[in-house]
Amino acid sequence: MSDRPGPLDYSRKLWLRLWLLAVFVFLYAPIVILVLFSFNDSKRNIVWRGFTLDYYVKAWHNAPLIEAFVNTLVIALIATAISTVIGALVALALWRFRFPVKPLFEGAMALPIVIPEICMGVALMAFFARIGWPTQMPWPLSLASITVGHVAFCFPFVAIVVRARMVGFDRSLEEASKDLGASEWQTFRYITLPYMQPGLIAGGLLAMTLSLDDFVITFFTSGPETLTFPVKVYSMVRFGATPEVNAASTLLIVITIVLTVIAMLLQRPDKELQA
Amino acid sequence: MESWRQQPLVFWIFILPGGLWLLLFFMAPLALVWLFSFGERAGVIGIEITGTLANYWEALEPLYLGLFWKSLWIAAIATLATLIVSFPVALAVSFASRQMKPILLLLVILPFWTNLLIRTYAMIAVLRTNGYINYGLEGVWNGVSAATATVGLGALPAFQPLTLLYNNTAVIIGIVYIYLPFMVLPLYATLERLDRSFLEASLDLGAGQWRTFFNVVVPLAKAGIISGIILVFIPALGTFLISDLLGGPDSQLIGNVIERQFKAANNWPLGAAMSFLLMYVTFAVLALRSMFMNRDV
Amino acid sequence: MTASPWHMRPCPTSRRRFLQGSAAVAGSLPWLTRPARAAGQVNVYNWDTYIGENTLAQFTEATGIEVRYDLYASNDELFGKLREGNPGYDVIFPSSNFVERMVAADMLLPLDHAKIPNIANLDPAFTDPAFDRGRKHSLPYFWGTMGIGYRISAAGDTPPKGWVDMLGGDRFAGRMAFLNDSDVIRITLKYLHYSLNDKDPKHIDEAAEALIKAKPGIKAFAPDTGQDLLISGEIDICQEWNGDILQVMLEDDDLNYIVPEEGSLLWEDTMAIPKGGPNLENAHIFINFILDAKIHGEIATEVKYPLPNKAALEYIPEEDRDNPAMYPPEEVRARCEPNIFDAERDTLMEKALTRVLAA
Repeated sequence: MSDRPGPLDYSRKLWLRLWLLAVFVFLYAPIVILVLFSFNDSKRNIVWRGFTLDYYVKAWHNAPLIEAFVNTLVIALIATAISTVIGALVALALWRFRFPVKPLFEGAMALPIVIPEICMGVALMAFFARIGWPTQMPWPLSLASITVGHVAFCFPFVAIVVRARMVGFDRSLEEASKDLGASEWQTFRYITLPYMQPGLIAGGLLAMTLSLDDFVITFFTSGPETLTFPVKVYSMVRFGATPEVNAASTLLIVITIVLTVIAMLLQRPDKELQA
Repeated sequence: MESWRQQPLVFWIFILPGGLWLLLFFMAPLALVWLFSFGERAGVIGIEITGTLANYWEALEPLYLGLFWKSLWIAAIATLATLIVSFPVALAVSFASRQMKPILLLLVILPFWTNLLIRTYAMIAVLRTNGYINYGLEGVWNGVSAATATVGLGALPAFQPLTLLYNNTAVIIGIVYIYLPFMVLPLYATLERLDRSFLEASLDLGAGQWRTFFNVVVPLAKAGIISGIILVFIPALGTFLISDLLGGPDSQLIGNVIERQFKAANNWPLGAAMSFLLMYVTFAVLALRSMFMNRDV
Repeated sequence: MTASPWHMRPCPTSRRRFLQGSAAVAGSLPWLTRPARAAGQVNVYNWDTYIGENTLAQFTEATGIEVRYDLYASNDELFGKLREGNPGYDVIFPSSNFVERMVAADMLLPLDHAKIPNIANLDPAFTDPAFDRGRKHSLPYFWGTMGIGYRISAAGDTPPKGWVDMLGGDRFAGRMAFLNDSDVIRITLKYLHYSLNDKDPKHIDEAAEALIKAKPGIKAFAPDTGQDLLISGEIDICQEWNGDILQVMLEDDDLNYIVPEEGSLLWEDTMAIPKGGPNLENAHIFINFILDAKIHGEIATEVKYPLPNKAALEYIPEEDRDNPAMYPPEEVRARCEPNIFDAERDTLMEKALTRVLAA
């Protein structure tokens, strides 16, 4: 991929830059408002009543809120990791192989996307109750039921994205690699995987987003020992969004930025073998 | 595409983890609710599986069918809007320089790691009558008005704030806002490392930028466009939160009705039947698509 | 009143050990350094903004029992969550009609009154309600009314008096919000001078028609956020719960709350013990603690809901006690009715609501 300017360099086109700017304004305006209102000296988020840091202090001393944070991040990270792996594998299977019940399987894979969240939440709740899934487990095992549910609705999203990515892959590369004596694993590792990478990143990001945001399914699969941030926020903002909730989410934004930047820095020296 | 028999081991490694997970933690729970959809309420919490089709007949009443139809429309318009907004974004990200790419990608996804509800409430603060868009417009309006007054043209009539919330347009804007990454990311995944020689060839052969875009870039991104549409349209079809918070008195969607069956109405069998109608339709469409696609290849 | 009730709840031991082990900065983190106690735990499941800021800390202080406090946003959610089995809650706060529903579904344990001596503090009007004779399964927490919140300056010289100002005429056209649950059907029945527990399908249809007729003037059917729309100036009048409006009235003098003259819905939230909870004994201790006159009074002072606790009344500010919007006079209360549970009627009303919202 070249850096030279030219007719293909869409990123240097003015209209594209303006469009991008407009989309970012659209995406970030509410976020800016949200951060601003976390400093609002009012119990409600409606009218500006002056600057305060009280709600940060409150959020910081709010032990269950912190616990809910930690739980949410742990669930999201584990669910993303598992979903990305098994979603990508399924995508490869669908992309590469013919098998007898393939249309059925593909239809079934799309069901977690189409199912109304509440229906899936109720289904998982009824299921866990009926198979007698233990509710009194030590942390972090207590998070297992929520995580299992998250993976179930996240990995089909990964599979769809990765599969769309693989459509453009030239399989003769794999054959060439094998003709040159590479094993199945080597071919996968050095030919297929690098090509998949953008799909994996996109799918992983989607899974993370889905897991961090989900409250309906989480609500039905959680118990008193497994507070999570979205469920907590849901029950809180139903009575009007408070600055404390905003302060907490601002903290969450900062934490995710820091974690992501660290992850990116760790990644950097390693590869980027594309060029 | 090869038959699974040629590489059975690889095939099973690929398909088993996802297949089993789907079977155990999705299909099995779903089967329970599927049974409920053929059941009758018995007492307050009992559901007797009687094999009745009454729930499906009820779900197909004109009242609910109308809402189905309306949800389809809203989801379709919103998906199209999302596609139009997202395509240039995905293009910009995938054609960005290597240093900029992860930063842009992060900028796109970051807002979505903020809690959905909090984001929606913040959006209400931006859009409402006394919100920031109207404040901004009012400032501009008053400025213009003062200017026309000083040059002797008389002041403009008083500013009328725009009604941006509590109608179906607000619901569509909300869907675009909430589901944007579900379109941008699949598009990015296919556009990334798109074979540029096609584009160069097209340009060399004298096609303009726009023709190249529509005749070469869009077809090459087809797989991404289709999966983006699936990932936005289908969840938008079942949304209830957006219409609840941003919609007006007539913005009720099928998702709201389904939600109420499982909660307030305490009518799980009807809610299950409605959910499954949604699923049957999608399942059929996707299975058909898979059949045709596999025939092509 | 936005209480932040979780101030002090420490994590369970296994979890705390994990965090302490991993956090070098533990000294500065208030939630990591609480001493462990051995008197056990009680898992409380309540609505948000519905308890005093220090109530739970006081409870732990007094009894040594740790409180695990979790939140839900509606009775429907509470019911849905416990329907397939109790995931571990000890004390819940269902409204009266859900007490009936849960008793019918055999989801509640009978209370042992001998362990709750503070029952003596209750106002006699609350000791034998129709929905739970003899208070076998529930004890009252707060009660209140559904009514009308409005902007005083927008109403001018003639403040609204009842549902007729919202549903009969276009006085507030385009500036009204209603709730988006079946209670909107119930209050419309009141507007039509029927009982809000009327189960005649014809009357329910009539109510639906009345709402559909008023719809062009309705700005939104809001999910219990009418008070936000009101304070932000999006609307001038809304159907809401008393406490929601009383809370925003503290922030904006131009708002007021009335109980409509046609009558309205009278609600009562209760404390109950769901079957299958792990800490039965502690649940009783907790309920008894809340009914303590001073504690209950302190909570009421913060959350601004009317008390069913006679002895606690002396602990709330006089202006609250004398506020007719909070404690409506007897003749107003007499026109209000509780919502009585009836599965068949609830189904009819839900369907009517769907019809209204789809029209």
